[in-house]
Amino acid sequence: MLLKAAIKKQKGSIAQVFLLVFLLSLCLFSALTIYMSGLNFVENEMRRLGFGNFTIWVSGQPEGLEAELESIPGVDHVLSQPLIFVDYEINGSYSDNEGQLLTYDGSVPYHFQFADGTLQPIPEILPGTVYISPALSSSFDVQIGDTIQFELTRSSNETKSLTVVGYFADAFMGSSMIDMKSFLINESDWTEMKEVITQTAEVDVLGRTGAMLHVFQRADSGLSDLDFHRQINESTDIPLYTEFTYGQQSILNYMLLLQNILSGFFIAFSVVLLVICLIIIGHSLSVVVEQEKQDMAVLKAMGVSGSGLRGIYLTLYGGTVLAGLLFGLAPALGVAGLLARAMVSSTGLLVAVSFPIGVVLPILLGLLLLFAVFLFLRTRKILLIAPMQTIRETGGGKRITSALRKRFLGLDIALREIRSGKRKYIAICMISAFLVLFLSVIGRMGTWLGSNGEGLMNTFSVADHDLGVQPFNESVPMDEIERIINWYSPIQETYELAMQSVTVNGQEYTANVLNDTKWFHVLSGKVCDGNSILITDTVANEMGLTIGDTVRVAANGRMETYTVSGTYQCANGMGSNIGMSLEGYSKIGDITGYIWCYHYILENSSMRDYAFVYLQEHYRGIDVHTNSWSGLSGIVFVMHTLIGIIYLVATLFILVSVALTASKLLQSETGKMAIYKSMGMSSGRLRLSFALRFLIVVIIGTGIGMCFSTFFGDPAIGRIFKMFGIGEFHSGFSILGTILPMLAIPLLFFIFALVFSAKLKQVSIVKLISENEE
Amino acid sequence: MKEVILSGKGITKSFGENIVLHGIDVEIYAGDFTVIMGSSGSGKSTLLYALSGMDRLSGGQLSYQGKDITNASEKELTQLRAEEFGFVFQRTHLISNLTLLENIQMAGLIGNLSEKETKLRADDLINWMNLNGAKDRLPSQVSGGEAQRAAVARAAINKPTILFADEPTGALNKANSEEVLNLLSSLHEAGQSVLLVTHDREAALRGNRILYLEDGAIISGLELPIYAGKDRSREEKLSAWLEGLGW
Repeated sequence: MLLKAAIKKQKGSIAQVFLLVFLLSLCLFSALTIYMSGLNFVENEMRRLGFGNFTIWVSGQPEGLEAELESIPGVDHVLSQPLIFVDYEINGSYSDNEGQLLTYDGSVPYHFQFADGTLQPIPEILPGTVYISPALSSSFDVQIGDTIQFELTRSSNETKSLTVVGYFADAFMGSSMIDMKSFLINESDWTEMKEVITQTAEVDVLGRTGAMLHVFQRADSGLSDLDFHRQINESTDIPLYTEFTYGQQSILNYMLLLQNILSGFFIAFSVVLLVICLIIIGHSLSVVVEQEKQDMAVLKAMGVSGSGLRGIYLTLYGGTVLAGLLFGLAPALGVAGLLARAMVSSTGLLVAVSFPIGVVLPILLGLLLLFAVFLFLRTRKILLIAPMQTIRETGGGKRITSALRKRFLGLDIALREIRSGKRKYIAICMISAFLVLFLSVIGRMGTWLGSNGEGLMNTFSVADHDLGVQPFNESVPMDEIERIINWYSPIQETYELAMQSVTVNGQEYTANVLNDTKWFHVLSGKVCDGNSILITDTVANEMGLTIGDTVRVAANGRMETYTVSGTYQCANGMGSNIGMSLEGYSKIGDITGYIWCYHYILENSSMRDYAFVYLQEHYRGIDVHTNSWSGLSGIVFVMHTLIGIIYLVATLFILVSVALTASKLLQSETGKMAIYKSMGMSSGRLRLSFALRFLIVVIIGTGIGMCFSTFFGDPAIGRIFKMFGIGEFHSGFSILGTILPMLAIPLLFFIFALVFSAKLKQVSIVKLISENEE
Repeated sequence: MKEVILSGKGITKSFGENIVLHGIDVEIYAGDFTVIMGSSGSGKSTLLYALSGMDRLSGGQLSYQGKDITNASEKELTQLRAEEFGFVFQRTHLISNLTLLENIQMAGLIGNLSEKETKLRADDLINWMNLNGAKDRLPSQVSGGEAQRAAVARAAINKPTILFADEPTGALNKANSEEVLNLLSSLHEAGQSVLLVTHDREAALRGNRILYLEDGAIISGLELPIYAGKDRSREEKLSAWLEGLGW
């Protein structure tokens, strides 16, 4: 009966606590489901599709390379998947990266198409058709039925046109984080294209043949990934043919980068929500105990035990939390599925979501235990209620000495209430501090990201530039090209970059070679010279290198020793690269070939896209690119959507938090409000004063949150980003990251408090009458 | 002829099925100390709050200084409470986190007094109500009598046209009741119109016009001379009248 009465009396609070816990649960378990499902899906697909411990992309396929690899102790077996590397054009746009063509004969149904958002085996690929990664649909706006032209020869402009008939799950290259994209085509088309390529003169051919060599390590090999890779590079001629190499973990990181960032931020957000939930529940319980103290004292006097009363509130709040968690858990799978589908064009994969029971269950139990302990501690006050003493209590207050001003009476009343009821407002202050801290961190990330993904562009590029042009033969008129660029915008600076494959102490990396080393983003130490190299934080960690160490760098069969002069930022290849000067690289590599890409910094950066399109359309034999990549817009969209969702959930949380705290405060102050009304204070003035309390407290919380964000925001994000090869993070000042949370959070609290205080209109002075008539 | 400041015609008030006031006609005159007496549950507090505009009528008409305020807006009623009416409740209903002085000043600041006037008037009232020793204490730190005296001062600070008092001595001991009633009498003597609801004979003796309410209807009235201290004949007159009503 008592429980029933408590439910009836606290139904508003219970509903709001339920909503908070529901949101927390939904957010957390959706993020966990996305994270775990993505990880399992890509791992399974890679295993199923035959990705080795690492896979080497080679140009050409020299005889005996597989056998040579298999002869190395530690290598279990090698699977070869033939490829054609070729440029392509979709809907009038040229790709600034090669695509890799794979054949599919249906014998092993290891690729799946997306139809109606489901995964199904591809039955057959007909000649003249192609399956593509869904990531291309965001970068080239490809629709089913569009045509892709693969460019095979230069002089005769021979191309092969294939019609897009579907999308497939490419677990190796599908993500928009990876420039090179796979195309799944019929074997006869593949053979036909290969013949054109092999029969065309080298100077005229645009495509190349190659292969993916999936290298599997023996279970008893005992070598680490790094040592295993090094052993292969040192024991074979493979570095001579290697385009690039990726280990399982690198591919996993690449493919899951977006999902991991998204789920990582949602999980972090859930932790913030959890803390807020605990604060609000604690606050709600304190107010309830305070309000019900007299009744509880009477019940105690009647013989109801303290533990019995505590049990009622434990059951009430515990049951609500349990229900919130379970009801939030239920739709999490559906939400995760929706998110997975929404991200398909960026992740390139339609992840088959399933509940990771092994992860969800312990976390659910852990949360329940946490809430149980918290509720148990917060309800101990009930045991301490002494019946007669409490019944005799007349309600106190705290004396505050400050003058009351007629003009600022609402503000003065608000300040008094805050100062005399500090504990009640600490909860609101803490909630706002946490929310501001988190939203400011999110805002900082948004600032860094930029409206067009500038943050990612700069992080993943070797050095800043607006436009890059790489000529592939001597017929390219670079003077003319530069005149055209100048016509769009005067060229401010120019330098040259070559990206070459090298080994560092036997480990394969990309060397970013600059003719002007001042363009490297040096993080620590100093820029490299002819005798030194720069390394990324990733390389430093992988190889255990520090500044001053010496390393052996080899390429083209030549090796030199260099000193590590410093670290620099370039997240390309998950940070698996080094920086070299032209002088330094010239000791081991050929610098006379067409390896150089001319980078231009324009006075008017906004003209770069126009120059890019013009050059692409009018010149052959060059690779033109901006400081971007084809899938970036999709990634930026996903990141901005993530930020938007977090802002939305935060707003909902503020709404519920204010509803809960405001209703509790109003409930406890009905009498006081009626007195003010009886003295002639209008409902509007009372509401304003009430909302001002929230505003003042939240401004304090905002200040605290902003302080924490200023000091710890960038380092915290930097630490997360470091896991993805992004060595340095600086957000700087921005309206989105700095001003918006500072203004929006207090404003939202104020507005919601004003809205919820509408109840004050209904506060009747008759309440005082009824008390008199009792 | 006395000036009517408050007039109710056919005042009805019901709570659901329960009709508490049955079409009461009543006039309150300026300068009077009007007392509404009745037993518990007779509807006297309901009548007080209906007359003061604190509670909406179920039926009938209410006029203040000749103006119909039956359907006055919330804004108009708020202004009346701030500037024209003063209230004293049975339970003091002081703001718990304001000192007695601040409680008194608060009403002045909400009302039509300036900060300076509020301060001066509050200090005067503090002296008058003999609250100097307790003025800087919170309501929880003073005696019931001191708190109720502060409540009277709060109701009086704006020099209201009419001061409504709902059983102001109901929760006080005899000595404190006496003090509060003396204050009300002093205020009346100074020209303050008072409308007091009580079931206490001692409190009723302070009035010069006493109305008797029974089952939601005024069944009788008694006129007495203005209170000027204890007066045996006045007590006897009231007792006789009450006995006649079966009190």
